[in-house]
Amino acid sequence: MSLNAVLRYRDLVLYLVLRDLKVRYRRSSIGFAWTMLQPLLSMLVLSLVFAHIFRFEIDNYAVYALAGLLFWNFFSQSIVTSMNSLRANAGLLTKLPVPKVVFPLSTVLAGLINLMLAMVPLFVILIVTGHPLRPSLLFLPVAIFVATLFTFGAGLLLAPLAAFFSDIVELVGVLLTLAMYMTPVFYPMDIIPESLRWAVRFNPLRSILEVFRDPIYYGKVPPVTHLAVAVGISLVAVAIGAFAFRRSSDRIAFYV
Amino acid sequence: MSERRGGGGRRTVVRLEGVALCYRLAKQRHVSIKEFAIHWMKRALIYEKLWALRGVDLHVLAGERLGIIGRNGAGKSSLLKVVSGVLKPTEGRVETRGHLAPILELGTGFDYELTGLENIYLNALLLGRTRREIDERVADVVAFSELGDFIHSPIRNYSSGMIARLGFSIATAWVPDVLILDEVLAVGDAHFIAKSRQRLAELRAAGTALLLVSHDLDSVRETCDRCVWIDGGRVAAEGPTDEVVERYRAATAAEDAPPAAAAGR
Repeated sequence: MSLNAVLRYRDLVLYLVLRDLKVRYRRSSIGFAWTMLQPLLSMLVLSLVFAHIFRFEIDNYAVYALAGLLFWNFFSQSIVTSMNSLRANAGLLTKLPVPKVVFPLSTVLAGLINLMLAMVPLFVILIVTGHPLRPSLLFLPVAIFVATLFTFGAGLLLAPLAAFFSDIVELVGVLLTLAMYMTPVFYPMDIIPESLRWAVRFNPLRSILEVFRDPIYYGKVPPVTHLAVAVGISLVAVAIGAFAFRRSSDRIAFYV
Repeated sequence: MSERRGGGGRRTVVRLEGVALCYRLAKQRHVSIKEFAIHWMKRALIYEKLWALRGVDLHVLAGERLGIIGRNGAGKSSLLKVVSGVLKPTEGRVETRGHLAPILELGTGFDYELTGLENIYLNALLLGRTRREIDERVADVVAFSELGDFIHSPIRNYSSGMIARLGFSIATAWVPDVLILDEVLAVGDAHFIAKSRQRLAELRAAGTALLLVSHDLDSVRETCDRCVWIDGGRVAAEGPTDEVVERYRAATAAEDAPPAAAAGR
């Protein structure tokens, strides 16, 4: 999985990203609008349930929840599509010497484009709810980059596992639900009992999420220490993922 | 990889040393985690191994045309997969030099819902070409394939001969260092076979090495300078094509005794 090989196949990666997006949108009649609508509708549901029924003490809950959801959808969908990407392209990677990393890479990049599209309604909601538009929003590209690195790393680690054991896909689906509840995606940190708060605090996903949500919801660039932790976690994730993928890459064609 | 060896100081483009390839049998794949955990504890029992290749040494020089013959299941396709880098050998070393263009199966890397033209792009991208390189050659590919207006219709409407033509036209649009063909020309018509022979001759002049798997012994004879007979995953014979083909014919005829002329199956 050398970097050179990936560069050589860059146009293939681009092609796979576009194909991924086309397939995703061809099937629905309202196409790209769905990417923007889906998180908005989820946000409405969450607002109804948590801001009005459970009454979370949090200002402008809609923005808080939507920012969390955008990150979470990007992460969880990219993980699942990365895991499926090797089996889905089995016909290619057992017949052609394509560097296998192009498959998880292109699914994460397609997820990134979806995230960008889903940012559009977020800005609409920011404006509609009168949330202050601070210069900190300019920090978002950095935050998205960190989130993408982390997601790609996790995808690289899980994709070969999913090729070896198909059960992993189901298992990770369950674990993702658990992880979502352990990450303050739609609830504020302070509703968690003091005794359990460490579990959420040391959750790496929380660090990545907060670096993403700080500039949107709190209108501030994340503190340097938080940012350093998130960047560190992402780099470690990519290093572990790349190592695992490289180690197992030669065996993938025997299993898919 | 060393530059030496062979007539006229031509360089080695494919070198296999002591290559062995082992498949674990089908029941071992797609295991559930539970099965895996159980099997893992008594590992020795369940790994039923199938050695598709054993102790294979092979050198191919630039411009050489190597035929690979043998019965079904002898390991010919496994050999091509190892050479093209799709499967990593269990033992031994594989070194290749330069750009490989493998067609291991009819229609590999094609999307049957896309048009012929779109598939030229997809297939060439999968062979490691960039969009720009493809833009430069796409007209040549279309012309060589002689698909005419069919190039704009989805290839699910194509005959297997048309798909073979398109695949061959794409793989040979650039001069690869190693061209690997697994029985893909057999479905072409006489006209296209003659035309592809012509192109193979041009590629040879440009230094492309050809690895050709075929059951059509006459076509191997006409195309290849050298031949390898694979039997039971090992090299049974190697040398000038006529000699090896004769030995192979004699061996199969002897085995298939009474109904003799079961040529090469």
